[in-house]
Amino acid sequence: MQDAAAAKHDAQEFEPKVVAFLCKWCSSAGSDLAGVSRLKYPANAVPIQVMCSGSVSPIYILSAFNKGADGVLVSGCHPGDCHYLKGNYYARRRIFLVQKLLQFIGVEPDRFRMSWVSAAEGVKYAEVITDFVNDLKALGPQTKLKAKR
Amino acid sequence: MIPVEDIRARAKDLLQSGKVRAVLGYRRSTAGLLAEPAFMTTADETAALVLDPTCVGNLALYLVNEKKRMKHARQSDKRPLGIVAKGCDSRAITVLLQENHIRRDEVIVLGVSCETGGMIDTRKLNKALRGKGATSAHFEGEGGVRVSYVGGGTILPGKDVLADRCLECAKSYPLDADFFFGEKVDERPYGPRFAAVSAIAEKGSEERSAFWDAHFERCIRCYACRAVCPMCYCDECVVDSTNFIVGPTTSADEKADRVRWINRSATPSENAMYHMVRAMHLAGRCIDCGECERVCPVNIPLRLLNTMLEREALEMFQYTPGIDAEQPSLISSFRDGDPNDFVR
Amino acid sequence: MEAILKRNRLGQWITELQERAEIYAPDFVEDTWEFAKVGRGATVELNHSNTVRPAKRFVFPQREVLYRFRIENSQSPKLTDTEPKVESTVVFGVRPCDGRAMVRNDRVFTCGFSDPYYQARHDNVVFVGLACNAPPSQNCFCVSVGGSPHSEDGLDVLMTELDGRYHVKALTDKGSDIVRSAGDLFQDVKAADMDDVGNAHAIALEYSQRSISSMEAVAAALRRNFDSPIWDKLARACIGCGACTYLCPSCHCFDINDEVTNKSPLTGARVRTWDNCQFPDFTMHSSGHNPREDTGARLRQRICHKLLYFVETHNMQQCTGCGRCITHCPVGIDIVKIANVMEEGVWQ
Repeated sequence: MQDAAAAKHDAQEFEPKVVAFLCKWCSSAGSDLAGVSRLKYPANAVPIQVMCSGSVSPIYILSAFNKGADGVLVSGCHPGDCHYLKGNYYARRRIFLVQKLLQFIGVEPDRFRMSWVSAAEGVKYAEVITDFVNDLKALGPQTKLKAKR
Repeated sequence: MIPVEDIRARAKDLLQSGKVRAVLGYRRSTAGLLAEPAFMTTADETAALVLDPTCVGNLALYLVNEKKRMKHARQSDKRPLGIVAKGCDSRAITVLLQENHIRRDEVIVLGVSCETGGMIDTRKLNKALRGKGATSAHFEGEGGVRVSYVGGGTILPGKDVLADRCLECAKSYPLDADFFFGEKVDERPYGPRFAAVSAIAEKGSEERSAFWDAHFERCIRCYACRAVCPMCYCDECVVDSTNFIVGPTTSADEKADRVRWINRSATPSENAMYHMVRAMHLAGRCIDCGECERVCPVNIPLRLLNTMLEREALEMFQYTPGIDAEQPSLISSFRDGDPNDFVR
Repeated sequence: MEAILKRNRLGQWITELQERAEIYAPDFVEDTWEFAKVGRGATVELNHSNTVRPAKRFVFPQREVLYRFRIENSQSPKLTDTEPKVESTVVFGVRPCDGRAMVRNDRVFTCGFSDPYYQARHDNVVFVGLACNAPPSQNCFCVSVGGSPHSEDGLDVLMTELDGRYHVKALTDKGSDIVRSAGDLFQDVKAADMDDVGNAHAIALEYSQRSISSMEAVAAALRRNFDSPIWDKLARACIGCGACTYLCPSCHCFDINDEVTNKSPLTGARVRTWDNCQFPDFTMHSSGHNPREDTGARLRQRICHKLLYFVETHNMQQCTGCGRCITHCPVGIDIVKIANVMEEGVWQ
């Protein structure tokens, strides 16, 4: 009983760091909307605005983990809505492979996530971040790819 | 079984007629059992050409290296290079063509089929011989390999001594060759494709994690895997400590501000970064010649990372690298039906 | 100081040494021989071929933190020393070629100026050598470069395996110390034992090795052929990886980098890592000019450093004939063959 309480306390203590690569044309605007709508969601995500989810190189993702991120999110426009017409389709394929590779070397599947969030979906953005942070809290800190110095 | 005389004769003819500036093939090495690359520029040199299960190297690498070399050469010989290519090597050439790294008329492919054989894995061979050093290895038909060692010899079944990539090979002959040697064999007596990667993929996440941690920790970052890979032809690699695009006009600030993605230190995290970046960069490009794994001095099973992505590419995107120089590459194409369930 | 240790007492000796030191010995890891830490109660059998990685990492690790730095509010940097606190370590099964390489590394790191990081590690490690009764690699050529299968150079103890027992010879104070500390495990050496040692050493010398006939002639040929086109030919197959040098027991080149861990305040560490003359960026100038632009020039550097330059400055070859660079070269580049080609001048 006491252990469970202690574990719960620890889980509350641990605040995961999330690096979120957000497409300038949709998800980034979605996060702004979540803000101006005064939606409540965890402040764990560091947003990095990118021109397109298709411009997120796998090394950005790996590097975020290397520099201490507990979770990484890539968020772009819904299929068909890309500002550059097809960048998100390229991203989908590439991110799929990155995800498989991360899982293959033993990174927990829940640490890396992709989402489609449009500029109008402030509520969805808040949900995505809330779910992600909750899942990461259960996992604890990421140590596998983090540089030990 | 391909009579080596046929290949020698063809190489000799190409050199004598002046159609090629050199022929890349294999010859015996003083360093050990495995054949070494031979750059033959005169007809006489072709007498040393060999073809047997010790010709493991992927010579397509030298098409890339020669291109770099020719950039600095004072006079450039524009004639094509002849190259002896197995099934996997020829797929590498096809990917290089697909990426417009070389032109088809820059190379004359002497394609050789591995038929029911393949290339030996010296680690397996050493195990099978229990430490007796092999001195030669030849095909013995029906997938057997005749091995000699000091004071004896034996015939070993192919499945015990051939490299994993050969046991899992989907096409043991070149699809694109100017001259073809041997038989096209589609039914090979070996295990299923992706057997090695499936064995790891089936393990639990924690077990896999420990498996790779142990391997990445041992990496010494000699970059033999990168250097031997015909697809690793970038002028500048994220792991290099200096920047090859640095020129006389690059300012000190620009140099100082260069992003250091991966530190030089051979620590587990940096090693993992390096190998993952390399695996990603080879997704849809790796043709499974297995050279990265062969040359690793500390035996990191690098081929698994690449075949894992190869399997995903095949199963999820129906993509096979190295079969068609005209197809769009895996990463620069998409379909509406690509997996979407994993996205929130 | 010499003694006899029964083979079945080796484990006991190691167990006793574990009370005061970390013990490393060759272990078969992932199908290769590696120096690995010996766990409590683990059995050590000294029947290894040459390890893939040499013993140099015990004195010269691939990564060494030189100091840590922290710069706050544009004040002058605060530096923290990180001279290594090294656990006492005993390494078993060091082949004589690796021992001789240690002498070369000492020349570089401790003569004239003593490198404190290297020295701190060296002071705390004991190298227990194992004479080669038969060549541990098919590319051994220690005799050609002035060594022998039972060379004592650079080792603290030399063990020679005899029938059911080891002849143990302490060569330094550190060596005597680890033998004396477990004195009751050892027996006195009898005349018959010495005969056996002599025999074992004589037999070891009779095995055929790769050979270079005259190192003087090779050095002279290298001096003459600096500009020879042969280097391009010899290095035509070279893929430019660093396996030969990173696996070499006497290669000692390093690079120094700052690894920044935090931007504000600026914190990080200055780190020394192995570097490698076979990499194109090794000699890259900041102007963009590279004096060793191709694999030919880089191969020449490696061979000449081992067999010519080091001889000129230190009067000994830097190569100790372990054969690792030959065995592990992905494309069969062979220092013995190159030396012979040079000496015979056959390409001309």
